Amino acid sequence: MTRKSPYPYWFVLPAAVVFTVLFLAPTIASLWFSLTRWDLFSTQFIGLENYRQFFREPFLIQGLINTVIYAILTSGTKTVLGLLLAVLLTSGIWAQGLLRTVIFFPVLVSTIGVGITFSVLMHPTRGIINVALSAVGIHGPGWLTDPSLALYSIVFVDLWKGIGLATVIYIAGLASISPDYYEAARIDGATGRQMFFRVTVPLAKPATVTVVTLSLIGGLRSFDLIWAMTRGGPGFSSDVLASVIYKQYQAGFYGLSTAGNVILFLLIGLIVLPMTAWFNRKEVDL
Amino acid sequence: MTSVVLEDVRKSFGSLDVIKGVDLTIDAGEFCVFVGPSGCGKSTLLRIISGLEQSTSGRLLIGDRDVTHAEPSQRGIAMVFQSYALYPHLTVAENIGFGLSLARRPKAEIAEKVKQTADILQLSHLLDRKPKALSGGQRQRVAIGRAIIRNPQVFLFDEPLSNLDASLRSQMRLELTELHAKLGATMIYVTHDQVEAMTMADKIVVLNGGKIEQVGSPMTLYNKPATPFVAGFIGSPKMNLFDGELAAKEGCRTYGIRPEHILLSETEGKWRGSVRHIERLGADTIVFLEVPQLPAIIVRTDGDRPISPGQTLFATPLQGKEQRFG
Amino acid sequence: MRRRQLYAGISALLASGVIFVFPFVFILITAAKTRQDAAALTFSLPHEWQLWQNFIEVVQTRNYMLLLAYFNSTLITVVAVTLLVLFGAMVGYLLQRRPSHWNTVIYGAVLAGLMIPPAVVPTIWVLQSLGLFKTISGMILIQVAYGLSFTVLLFRSFIATIPRDLDEAAIIDGAKPLQIFFRVVLPLLKPVTVTVIVTQSIAIFNDFTNPLYYLPGRDNVTVQLTLYNFQGQFQTQFNLLFMNILLVTIPPLIVFVFFNRQIVAGMTAGAVKG
Repeated sequence: MTRKSPYPYWFVLPAAVVFTVLFLAPTIASLWFSLTRWDLFSTQFIGLENYRQFFREPFLIQGLINTVIYAILTSGTKTVLGLLLAVLLTSGIWAQGLLRTVIFFPVLVSTIGVGITFSVLMHPTRGIINVALSAVGIHGPGWLTDPSLALYSIVFVDLWKGIGLATVIYIAGLASISPDYYEAARIDGATGRQMFFRVTVPLAKPATVTVVTLSLIGGLRSFDLIWAMTRGGPGFSSDVLASVIYKQYQAGFYGLSTAGNVILFLLIGLIVLPMTAWFNRKEVDL
Repeated sequence: MTSVVLEDVRKSFGSLDVIKGVDLTIDAGEFCVFVGPSGCGKSTLLRIISGLEQSTSGRLLIGDRDVTHAEPSQRGIAMVFQSYALYPHLTVAENIGFGLSLARRPKAEIAEKVKQTADILQLSHLLDRKPKALSGGQRQRVAIGRAIIRNPQVFLFDEPLSNLDASLRSQMRLELTELHAKLGATMIYVTHDQVEAMTMADKIVVLNGGKIEQVGSPMTLYNKPATPFVAGFIGSPKMNLFDGELAAKEGCRTYGIRPEHILLSETEGKWRGSVRHIERLGADTIVFLEVPQLPAIIVRTDGDRPISPGQTLFATPLQGKEQRFG
Repeated sequence: MRRRQLYAGISALLASGVIFVFPFVFILITAAKTRQDAAALTFSLPHEWQLWQNFIEVVQTRNYMLLLAYFNSTLITVVAVTLLVLFGAMVGYLLQRRPSHWNTVIYGAVLAGLMIPPAVVPTIWVLQSLGLFKTISGMILIQVAYGLSFTVLLFRSFIATIPRDLDEAAIIDGAKPLQIFFRVVLPLLKPVTVTVIVTQSIAIFNDFTNPLYYLPGRDNVTVQLTLYNFQGQFQTQFNLLFMNILLVTIPPLIVFVFFNRQIVAGMTAGAVKG
């Protein structure tokens, strides 16, 4: 006869119920619903038709492409720039504590607030950015009104808001690198640049993995900023999967919207899982 | 005053047999010490008695009750952990009174009992402190206080002195022995330190590889060890033990003689050898004597005896102190 | 400090001032302008300071909707965070103290929660069948479900630092499982609990997407939704729009001032372990 453990299994029950009902179940259901024409009144099985639409309709394809561009641009920049900024902000320059605070604060601010603010600043004629540019004789473009520019303007704002988090994560990662390595490298005669690439970059790997993973997933799922600044426009030039999902939902095409969800899910899985596996295989022997 | 009886207790973790059949009776009011090398199962046995582990088979009786399957808090035991396991977020008073507060006793009752316990252990002036503001010895006393307040029939100690430095350890040995005399309770004490075992125990249980090698009073184990293992474990420096030719000559499988039971002479003796190494401890001198065809013999002699390395000496075992096994 | 470090610091401060501080200053001064002043959208000090008047006007808009929004957002945040701490700690506790085959299942679920984007329309369908769609309770449970993965991970790794000895001492003292958890372990989890509270509070308070989907309509607005909705309302009143933005920015600012360390700790958890 075994006595009961002091750690009863039912401790997971509250969390498990909420998580299963409100997250796991809908996720599994989405696989089914994405194969239907689903609206307010009925659900009708139509096989892969929703997915075919995604690769046929220009506005849906554009959303898919934009999502990938957005994610790669934001993630790539955050990874590289974040590390460089972290190195700068741990090198002992004057006011580095204040600087860390300044670049981290935007991370905590309402995304809608940031989006609205920058929309105003980026107004083609009255926004401060273009006004300042015209003061030096440059005719500033329609940052958010030019279809070929809109997405990239939003990328910039995303970076403005998010670079602080990447930097702070890297700062924590850098703090864990023992100074012994740098001293050994210095004795070996390494230049600053060599030390960066041979010591800092490899040993910051855990932080790099975290930053890349978080920013990729965040970038692929991004919605708030885009919605606040352009609603996917002009036209659908700055649509991403998340805004497509919402627009199809608003239009009542629930099946199509859910298919968008599944595609987003697959996209994340297809990009993040192999990448994590690749990172973990490249072991740094300490 | 309660006895503890173990009947053929066994414990396996998966396919690993840790306790291989232990039969033991601990008399009421006894101070019984479980001693043995790392991994011999002494801590596991203690935890089985406490109820934190369940035996795989066998019976356990505390007093007249079969407690084999009882909850730890229902066995009438209390335990002092090696790390003391004091609740860091509670004051000394709250630590000691924790069990009573769990049982929802009235506050006045808890306060009274805590005060009584604190008085016994001279902790009254520390009641409002948190563990991190206490010294090692004070923490130990709080752990003991937490045990005493339960009014247990049996006290269990799991290597409580290992975390203390040497001088504190000898002081606490004395305090624990006095506590035992004062309370008269049955106490089971686990240690790997044979000095603690020898100085504190009424009865020593020597464990090795999950089985009992010998049970007896300290002097019995010292003078009449049942096996070479016990002989080598009790007493410091270790007993000289020889197999092979020498043992055969003495008519046994293993022959043993303690360093303090060997006489040294410059002129004559049973074994002749040369001094390989000398350790002067002040009161004693330990001599490592190299004897042909034998491993070195270790001999203890007076502190101020003049000996030099390489010197030729003769060693003679004292009659009646020789041990023959098998 | 070497000369180079001083110069580098000064130039960095100037650059970050332009890039990072300037937009916030713009928000503040525009929020203090009169309507005409604000319409010019210039980076200049207000001719008259109308900070208080603008504040009152924004609060009164659409029948004090902002107050309702603040109430709702606060309620959702407080209740959701409380449940997250409770449920998350219990799971993290079990994961760490009772290793079993179930652990792989739980870790899998945690990973899924971190990676998989919520399937929104099916979730609405589930909420509707439970009668929780467009309700505050529904929103609270959603925030709990979405926040569990991160919370469980944080608790699990921290619980590893609480020695099992304490559990055993409590068992001998007669503690039942719930008592061990609430009276011994949970109090010792205070540092990580603070981190969870701070990071999750900010995330839930700033959340726009989920209330957009699961709390449509004007009865149960949240702060972020109100800000979004008022864009149309304040189309020609930039001073009020930016006052609204300012008001939405202040709570996280306050939390940041007091809990900077915990926020950073929470967000960098995992960066060093790898």
